[in-house]
Parts: sequence; structure tokens; C-alpha cells
Amino acid sequence: MESPKRNPVDAEHRRPVVTSTARAIDSLLDDAPCGFVAFADDGTLRVVNRTLAAMLGFAPDELAGRHVESILAVGSRIFYQTHVFPMLRLHGRVDEIFLLLRGKHGEDVAALANAVRRERDGEWVSDVVLMRIVERRKFEDALLEARRTAEAATAAAEQSRLETEDANDLLERQALELELSQEQLREQAVELEHQRAIAESANRAKSAFLAMMSHELRTPLNAIGGYVQLLEMGVHGPVTDAQAEALGRVLRSQRHLLNLINDLLNLARIESGRVEFKLGTVAVDDVVQAALPMIEPQLTARKLSCEAHVPRELTVFGDREKIEQILLNLLSNASKFTPPGGAVRVSARAASERPGRVQLSVTDTGVGIAPDKLEKVFEPFTQLDATYSTRKEGTGLGLSISRELARGMSGDLTAMSVPGVGSTFTLELPAA
Amino acid sequence: MSNTILTRNNVKVFGRGTQPMLFAHGFGCDQHMWRYITPAFEDDYQIVLFDYVGAGKSDISAYDADRYSSLGGFAQDVLDICRALDLRDVIFVGHSVSSMVGVLAANAEPDRFANLIMIGPSPRYINDAPDYVGGFERSDIEGLLETMEKNYIGWANFLAPAIMKNPDRPELSAELETSFCSTDPVIARRFAEATFFADNRADLASVRVPSLIMQCSEDMIAPLSVGEYLQDALPGSTLRVMRATGHCPHMSHPDETIALMREYLREPRLSERADGIAEAQSR
Repeated sequence: MESPKRNPVDAEHRRPVVTSTARAIDSLLDDAPCGFVAFADDGTLRVVNRTLAAMLGFAPDELAGRHVESILAVGSRIFYQTHVFPMLRLHGRVDEIFLLLRGKHGEDVAALANAVRRERDGEWVSDVVLMRIVERRKFEDALLEARRTAEAATAAAEQSRLETEDANDLLERQALELELSQEQLREQAVELEHQRAIAESANRAKSAFLAMMSHELRTPLNAIGGYVQLLEMGVHGPVTDAQAEALGRVLRSQRHLLNLINDLLNLARIESGRVEFKLGTVAVDDVVQAALPMIEPQLTARKLSCEAHVPRELTVFGDREKIEQILLNLLSNASKFTPPGGAVRVSARAASERPGRVQLSVTDTGVGIAPDKLEKVFEPFTQLDATYSTRKEGTGLGLSISRELARGMSGDLTAMSVPGVGSTFTLELPAA
Repeated sequence: MSNTILTRNNVKVFGRGTQPMLFAHGFGCDQHMWRYITPAFEDDYQIVLFDYVGAGKSDISAYDADRYSSLGGFAQDVLDICRALDLRDVIFVGHSVSSMVGVLAANAEPDRFANLIMIGPSPRYINDAPDYVGGFERSDIEGLLETMEKNYIGWANFLAPAIMKNPDRPELSAELETSFCSTDPVIARRFAEATFFADNRADLASVRVPSLIMQCSEDMIAPLSVGEYLQDALPGSTLRVMRATGHCPHMSHPDETIALMREYLREPRLSERADGIAEAQSR
């Protein structure tokens, strides 16, 4: 391409002055089947052949003197400044550079460039050959797109592989944790078994203690009772009135103590779940009719009237003996806390507001209980307002035991009272 | 550790002076771009050249995509080298994007640097309407990325050219046997994005190191308005508009570049600069 006889560049016109001998070669250069441009180090275009001018939509002479950047798209201008220019300065050439050229009307023209920088006619210029690429560019675009797609797919595959690994790791960790918690559960089961053994052992100790109490306390008490009765009967000689009175007190104290011990043992047995209930259908009236005669002497002694209203057909599901024990306790309390001339009333009904339940109530006209004390009467060893002198006979355990028994039969024992008017204790049990 | 850094960044140290002059290349090149400049300073300074990780003959295995996806990672390279060589009173010379790398490094360790010399700097390449003209729209940068991508199809040819006779400086041809630009298209693209999508305007006001802004008269990458913006925003800065055109005056107009650098460094300037900084701070 280069003519050794080229004339110096005419800086004024920035166009080569062509001699007749060089004209044919210049003509060849002008019409060569590729673009050609030569530019100075400062970027000024010295030579632009006709092919390139036509490629960019310019007239043949229109480009000379412009800056090389003016025929580059902006992105390629940056690339020229950051890559191509330094390469030309430092290497002296670049090969197969892709550049987007800019046409006269702003259109992009893709081209491949080879360039060499050399000194010619006293000036450093870069000679550039530009080949328009259309089909090749489409092909390259497709290749790039395919590569991007492949890379994205690879990345996605890698991502999902990592996710799978993560999930596996998680599963392994969870399996490990599961094993650990199984191990913990096993340890806890062993510990629970151990605790249960200790509890059972404690329970056995308690049973043994109760048995001991029962034997060691009741035996001497029974002996006391027996020998006092023998003395009263004059087995060991005549008994004076004063002695008889004293013996009577000893005997009452002995009975009180015996009752107290029995009650304590009962409560302890109930609380430790050692009381057996013989559950069955019980006719409420039968229980009432059996209990009333037993309490009658006490009621009579205190000049109390008593009446019972119990439907014959009313039945409950419970332990007949326990129900009778509760009823006797309630009647005994009523007689104790009701002043002479008062009335005690026993009634029973199917509780319409609580289907499937039967209520057996004992109502008195006694001193009554303040509302805030109602629950206290069910606590062990409670006798309300009980100074020593006003204390009624009894251990203070009766209501506690009765409530525990009621609850042991899936029932309950509750109290209602109006101070000065009277109290009602209600045993509620499942209907049979 | 220091040896690792020196190998990692292909650090070259030479010259007969004591004050270090650290040259940081720009996007698209490596330390070879300084070859026309360094001979002028060899007698009076200690010259330090290096390649950023991912460029030139750096250790590509040390490349960390996260670290080098912003200019902070490049500033870390500069600071790593300063520490490895225990450089003090450093004259930092940065081309193009490396000017802002210098700003970040000087803000991190202001006491280490004596001067920042910036060649074709820009704190932001993309226009920020209505007040800031960087010279480019985002789509222009995407055009650059596309051009780069296309060229990396034939990158082996482009990046590892055969040794050519270099009529300009034939004695240097031998060292060009190695690749000149970044050889990895992914690394090159990330460097381009870190460079052209950066916005370092907010880092300028805190600069306490005096600086020289060398602005080419016709630079499509850093237009004149950018140089003026920088002079306003950088405390203690001196703007010199060059007769040189283009973006690489240290390659195209080394004599003018050297003359301006010498003039700046020889000025009895310490008091002036202190005044300049005080004035800038009081504004």
C-alpha cells in the first residue's frame, strides 16, 4: 500500500499532493475493497480513502482534517483512548481490533481494524485498514449470546449444585441434631425412670410410715380406752363420782385423739391416692335414709329439727360408703354450728343448669360463714373463729376429707352461706 | 508479606534519589505506560512502578472479584505497596482513574503522601444532570463494554502481540514480549465498570495532600469542565491545562508532561500550598 515515492503531506490542505506517477497507486488505494485511513499522533486524519468515506456516508474529501474520534462511536472512542492509542504508541501496531465506526448520520458501522504506526515524510502517522463486518458480526453476536447463555446456565447449575449441597449439609446437621435430641430423650427417659424409682421408694416409705402411725399410735390409744372403760365399770373397785367424771374426760380425750389420728390417716391416704373407690349406681335417698338415724341423737340433743326432701328415683355414680361418710360429716357440722331450735334440711336434685350432675345439699340455720372465708373451711385443721373456748368438737379435717372424697368420685363439695342466716353445703356427683 | 506484595503487584524500584515517586497506571494499560516519563526523574527520585492486580504481569491468582469491583480495592494495592516498601513522603503520580485511586489512598493515610500528581483525572465520568458534566452517558460506557467484549473474542491476538520492531523506542521492544493489557476479559470488564461507574466527588473535600491536576486541552475522556470542577473541589490543588491533546499526554507529549511535573515539584510552594489548603478549608 505504501508508496516509497510519496510526497510530503501538505499541512495546509491536509491532502496528499499526488504526482502523476503515484496517481495510479493512489487510485488503487482509493478504491481498494477496504477502508483506509492515516492519522497523525494528535488524531488528525491525513488520508481517508474513498471506500471508507463511502462506508460512512461521506463525500470523498469530507473527512480529511477531522479528528479520528469523529468517525468512532463513543464507546469505541474510549476504547481507542484507553487501549488502541497506548498500544500504537508502545507496540507500534494493533491487529484485528473491533471498532464501532460512526457514520455521517450517526449510524453505527462495525469494522475490524489493523493499524501500524510509523514515520513517514517526517511525521508519525498511524495507517489503519478497516474491514466492514456485517455477517461476521452477526455471527459473533450470536456466539457471544450463546456464550452468555451457556455461562448463565453454568452459573445456574453451579448455584443449584451449591444449594443442593447446602440443603444436604442442612439435612445432615438436622439428622445429627435429631440423633443428639434422641440421645437427650433417652437420657431424660433414664432420668425420669430414676426419679420415678425415687418417688416410688418415697411412696413406699410413706406407706410404711402410715402403717407405723396406724399401729404405734392407735394401739396405746385403744389400750387407754379399754382400761378406762374397765375402771368405769368398777372392775378394779368402786369409782367415786369425781373419779367417774375424770375417767369420762380421759375417755373423751382418748376418742378425740383417736378420731384425729384416723382422720389424718384418711386424709394422707386420699392425698397419696391410696383410697380405693368402689364406684357404682347409688340411690341418693337410700344414703340419706341410712345416715339420718345415725345423726338423729346428736340433732335431738341440740334441739334441732331435721327434714329431708330427696326424690326416690335420683341416682348418682359413686361409692356409697364414701357418699354416706360425706353426708354424715355435713350433718354433723350442721348440728354443731346451728344454735338450739334451728333447723337442718337435706335435699337433692338433678342440676338442670349442669346436665348429668346431681346435687345433694345440707342446709342449716346456723351462724353462717363470711363469703371470704368460704373456701378456707375446706383447708385442713380449720375451724373458723375458733378461739380455744369456742372450739367445737372435731379435728378440723372433716371438710377437707369430704371434699377430697367428692373429687375422688369426679364430684365436688362446695359451700354457700349468708352470715347469721345459715349455710348450705352441696355435694355434687355425676348422675348415674 | 512485603515480598508477597512486591511480587503480587509486579513492583519495580529504581532511580538514584531518596524521595519516592510512585506511578500508578490507568485502565487499559500497565506500568509500561510510564516509560517516557520515568527517565527524567531517575536521577532525583526513587521510582516505584507497579501493576494493579489483574493488569500487566501482576499475580492473577491474587485477584479478588469483590476487592477490585470498586476503586477502594485499587487504593488498597497502593497502600499495600507503600507499607511493603515503607514509603514516606510519597509523590503519587496517577493516570486517569488512578488519580482517584490516589485520592482514596491519600484520604486513608494522608501522612504518607507529599503530593498527588493527577494526569487526566475525573471524579465521575457519567454526567449528573443538571450541574455536573462528566462527558458520558451510561449508554456510552455500555458501548465501551461491548467493544471490549468483541475484542476479547480475538484477545490472544490483541493482547499478546508478536514482538514488533518499534521504530519509536526500539530498545524497549524486548520487554513488550509479555502481554501489555489485562489478559482476562472478566477482569478487564470489572476494571472498566469500577472506573467508569465510579463517583468520587464526595471524597475530594477531605483531601489534605496538595495536588497537581494536569488537564489536556482536548480530552474526550476528561473534558475541561471536569478539570475545573476538580480544582474547585480539591483543597490545595493546582490546575494546569496542557497544550497536549488526547487522554495520554505522558505518552503523546512526554516533554510537556515532564516539564509541568518538574515545575510543580520545584516550586517553593510549601507555604503557598498551606495557604491554599487553609483557604479551601475556610470556604
